[in-house]
Amino acid sequence: MTTSRRTFVKGSAATAAAASAPGLLRAQTAPSAARTLRVVLHGDLKIFDPIWTTANMTGNHGLLIYDTLFGMDDKRIPQPQMVDKWGVSDDKLTYTFTLRDGLKFHDGQAVTSADVVASVRRWAARDGAAQHLFKRVADTPIKDDKTFQIVLRERYGLVLDALGKLETNLPVIMRKLDAETDPNQQVTTKVGSGPFIFNETESRSGQRYVYDKNGAYVPRKEAATGIAGGKIAKVDRVIIDNMADEQTAVAALKAGEIDFYEVPPIDLLDQLEGDKNIRLAVLNEGGNVGMCRLNWLHPPFDKVEARQAMLYLIKQDDILKAVFGNPKYYRTCGSLFGCTGLMQSDVNTDWFKAGQNIPKARELFQRAGYDGRPVVILQATNIAFMNNASLLVAQWLKEAGVNAELAASDWGAVVTRRAVKKPVAEGGWNIFITWGSGEGFDNPIGFVAHTANGEAGWFGWPKDDLHEKLRDDWAMATSLDERKAIARKLQENAWNYVPMALLGQWAPPVAMRANVSGFIPIPAHVPFWNVEKA
Amino acid sequence: MVDATTTPIALAPSRAARRARVWRFLRRNPTMVLGLVILGAMLLAALAAPWIAGNPYAMKPIQRFQPPSDTLWFGTDNLGRDVYARTIYGARVSLAVGLTVALVAVSIGLLIGLLAGFFHWVEALVMRLMDGLMAIPAILLAIALISLFKGSVAIVIIAIVIPEVPRVARLVRSVVLTAREQPYIEAAIASGTRVRRILWRHILPSTFPPLIVQATYICASAILIEAGLSFLGAGTPPEIPTWGNMIASSRVYLARAPWTVFCPGLALALVVLSVNLVGDGLRDRLDPRIARRM
Amino acid sequence: MLAFIIRRLLTTVLVMAIVAAFIFLLLHLSPGDPAAIIVGDNATQIQIDAVRKQLGLDDPLALQFVRWLLGVCRGDLGISIFSHEPVVKLITQRIEPTLSLATTTLLLAVTIAVSFGVIAAWRVGTWVDRVVMVLSVVSFSVPVFVVGYLLIYLFSIKLGWLPVQGYAPLTQGLIVWVRHLILPSIALGLAYVALIARITRTAMLDVLSEDYIRTARAKGVATGPVLMKHALKNAGVPIVTVIGIGVALLIGGVVITETVFNIPGVGRLVVDAISQRDYPIIQGVTLIFSGVYVIVNLLVDLSYAALDPRIRY
Repeated sequence: MTTSRRTFVKGSAATAAAASAPGLLRAQTAPSAARTLRVVLHGDLKIFDPIWTTANMTGNHGLLIYDTLFGMDDKRIPQPQMVDKWGVSDDKLTYTFTLRDGLKFHDGQAVTSADVVASVRRWAARDGAAQHLFKRVADTPIKDDKTFQIVLRERYGLVLDALGKLETNLPVIMRKLDAETDPNQQVTTKVGSGPFIFNETESRSGQRYVYDKNGAYVPRKEAATGIAGGKIAKVDRVIIDNMADEQTAVAALKAGEIDFYEVPPIDLLDQLEGDKNIRLAVLNEGGNVGMCRLNWLHPPFDKVEARQAMLYLIKQDDILKAVFGNPKYYRTCGSLFGCTGLMQSDVNTDWFKAGQNIPKARELFQRAGYDGRPVVILQATNIAFMNNASLLVAQWLKEAGVNAELAASDWGAVVTRRAVKKPVAEGGWNIFITWGSGEGFDNPIGFVAHTANGEAGWFGWPKDDLHEKLRDDWAMATSLDERKAIARKLQENAWNYVPMALLGQWAPPVAMRANVSGFIPIPAHVPFWNVEKA
Repeated sequence: MVDATTTPIALAPSRAARRARVWRFLRRNPTMVLGLVILGAMLLAALAAPWIAGNPYAMKPIQRFQPPSDTLWFGTDNLGRDVYARTIYGARVSLAVGLTVALVAVSIGLLIGLLAGFFHWVEALVMRLMDGLMAIPAILLAIALISLFKGSVAIVIIAIVIPEVPRVARLVRSVVLTAREQPYIEAAIASGTRVRRILWRHILPSTFPPLIVQATYICASAILIEAGLSFLGAGTPPEIPTWGNMIASSRVYLARAPWTVFCPGLALALVVLSVNLVGDGLRDRLDPRIARRM
Repeated sequence: MLAFIIRRLLTTVLVMAIVAAFIFLLLHLSPGDPAAIIVGDNATQIQIDAVRKQLGLDDPLALQFVRWLLGVCRGDLGISIFSHEPVVKLITQRIEPTLSLATTTLLLAVTIAVSFGVIAAWRVGTWVDRVVMVLSVVSFSVPVFVVGYLLIYLFSIKLGWLPVQGYAPLTQGLIVWVRHLILPSIALGLAYVALIARITRTAMLDVLSEDYIRTARAKGVATGPVLMKHALKNAGVPIVTVIGIGVALLIGGVVITETVFNIPGVGRLVVDAISQRDYPIIQGVTLIFSGVYVIVNLLVDLSYAALDPRIRY
């Protein structure tokens, strides 16, 4: 059942009128329950600009209402999405792209090259992979409304990979007027050209976010794989509910009040496993890798010995067990690239094989000249992994003679504070805990946490010239074996200078009602096209 | 010269009489005694925590979700922490907050009520202010204060005290007003006794019975509010184990490990119950009429 | 009578002004920069300065207060930091669930509590009385969130009779609306029931021991009419008083209950605002709830005149 543009416009006018009229009228314009997908994801949707933030929740929002030029398929080969035809010049320096027909923004305007170039440029100012690409970009000329080019100064093998990446910051295409917002400010409008439309009137900040099927969207003809292919919306409405309480969410799923729960706590899985109406599935085979980001700008982690101490301090097994309980869903991992991908190795991992060694950590902290100052850990209390990992890290630091201080807040506040480069006493930080997808970790270029370009990089701001050079080499490599060899060098170097500490890998299942199907397995995000309710 | 025959007889009834009195007290106020016993036990446990409780902070994930057993009386939580130790330490916060709030609210309220009851100009000025403060819900005030200042036990105490003071002040004021009409007070004033002396020697003692009762209710209420605040994540800093934040972090595991919720929950209910029982008993014994009139 | 009403109204206005002043002062007594608190952690210095100028935060405090108060009377409670929406809009969007919960709780609690209190007074000293009193003390002692989770566990998870969480607007049907509100009302109202039942019982006991009741009984009037007509009406004053005071309990409890049962009301709005450090919301809701309390108490006072002809202020 598709709605034409005319009925959509009438519907939206009616909705707007109904929003001010008594609630009785509202009920008539909502799609039926059978065509509405109610989901609970891992957090609240606070930021709506996928170019500005790396938050995965925003990535989910981005995939719903925006579209991208290319998209990774299930083999991680970039496929054209908004692009119809593309070509490369013989000298491999000029890429020419032509947009598909029928691409329109939700306000009715057609998508033009001007919009595309403005969006890509804005994304290039924010994203690590984009920055790596744009170091080599000479210009992005617009040929006509549907054709534009990327002209390189030197050859670069990952142009399409960057434009089709499925890790945040997503290279979504916004309207030119939105894309011209200063990259350091958030875009707060929600107008894209994707398969769903954000329903402002029905949404409630902090409570639920409503997306209606975009009847005017023209999906590609190919089958959907990864974030490539035809993005066909098979439900009329997606509602992202914000439920901070996990027990409530699990109970709501069992009662059928929601259809999908992204992060059922492992400890509650036995409640779900026996239930015939519920299905567990691992959408993200590579799972996630926990990371303990260290702040290079201020003591003690400006000294390499202190960072090395962290490698001996952390007992991954304890953290994983504390949060995930069941070893079926987690593994410890000493590789810089996660342990499920192609780039993993055990080079320079003796520290990992030997296990936790608090006395050695203590000794290393002393060698770093640690002076007893407070080491502030930003503790996000509302996310179980971050909360518990922070507690354990603090405990181990104290055992190693470090004056660890927990700064408890919610994840949103951590996201704000981690951007502060000032010293700890002025609102800065020393440690914060987060995670990235296992697949992301396997990619030294696309993954923002693998940059080591100092203050222009990702939070923690590690700096190592050899690391950056090796990353360039990896991007230029032409064979898988060559990449693996470079990855080994990267890891060997990394565990000497220690950009961050890793906390192990886990791949928990999602839970959904048995009558829901069609979720495409990709890491980090949950796309809602192709999903249907029987 | 001591009469050897009378003294032993005089002594014996005294000791027996004392025991009989105690027994009578027990029988006539069983609930109050129960409350006192529980409360006393909790207080002792809280004070002795560093010696009897073990380590409430140590995380040993390998032993997470152990049910209650001989070695771990209340089992362990999701991080392998000793629930018994955390419950005992939680008692410290709850009891400290409850008792401090009661003490501070009663002291300040007493002072204000005395002055308001005796001096008209104070009454006019202050009682409206009291009405205003009473209108602000304690939880919201606490949330506001905690979001402005940093969350700490002190801020929680201040936030709960502020709306309780007016209630005490009103109570004291009504007692003072009643007492003032007594003829002997009028006589004292007429004969030139200083106001301060009148307040101190005559009026103040008559405020004690209802005040003590009120203090127990304030204590119970403060413990519940503190638990609620910790539960919401708006109270004491989360490193300190409090019954409220224990329940909050364990509620996900209600079905799997009910002892992690049940133990602090039961402790909380018991403490509040015992304080309420003591308050009820006191109220029944002292003057029920005055205590009711707020 | 009219003079009494007018005097009471004036007092109410004065009290509201005091409440407003106190809440206003909180922001200005705190250690941070008021402008920075209002704009949030994410703001640049330029934005902070702009807000400072816009709100006139460099003016004398009294002037700021008057300006702010006038804004409040006009309905301007500030802008939420995180959603950039006016606080008033956020509150009106979420008022229906909270009002529904408060109403059902009030109705449930008052009916149950007054009945229990009357029965306990009527059968004073017997096991009925004891049971009621014990139950009420226990109910008063168990926190809302513990009761809430026990109820969910029993009735929603194990028995499946009632929904686990959430709120259904009245527009979706009366039955479904009530079903979602039963458990939260019980959880929230339990302490309230305890309080009202006890006060009712005490007040009834007082009245029942009065001479005129004995006279009525001696004249042969049956116990039922005696209780309802004479005693309850005269016990009305303390009972209504405690209902008024209980509204404060309700307001505080609503915040927790909405969190436990995931009801998207004003209480949840405030709790979310805590973690987001969204002070304008906290301030706005505190103001509104205090206002509600003051007005309820006004109504309670006015109802005294109807209940007890002896009371004349």
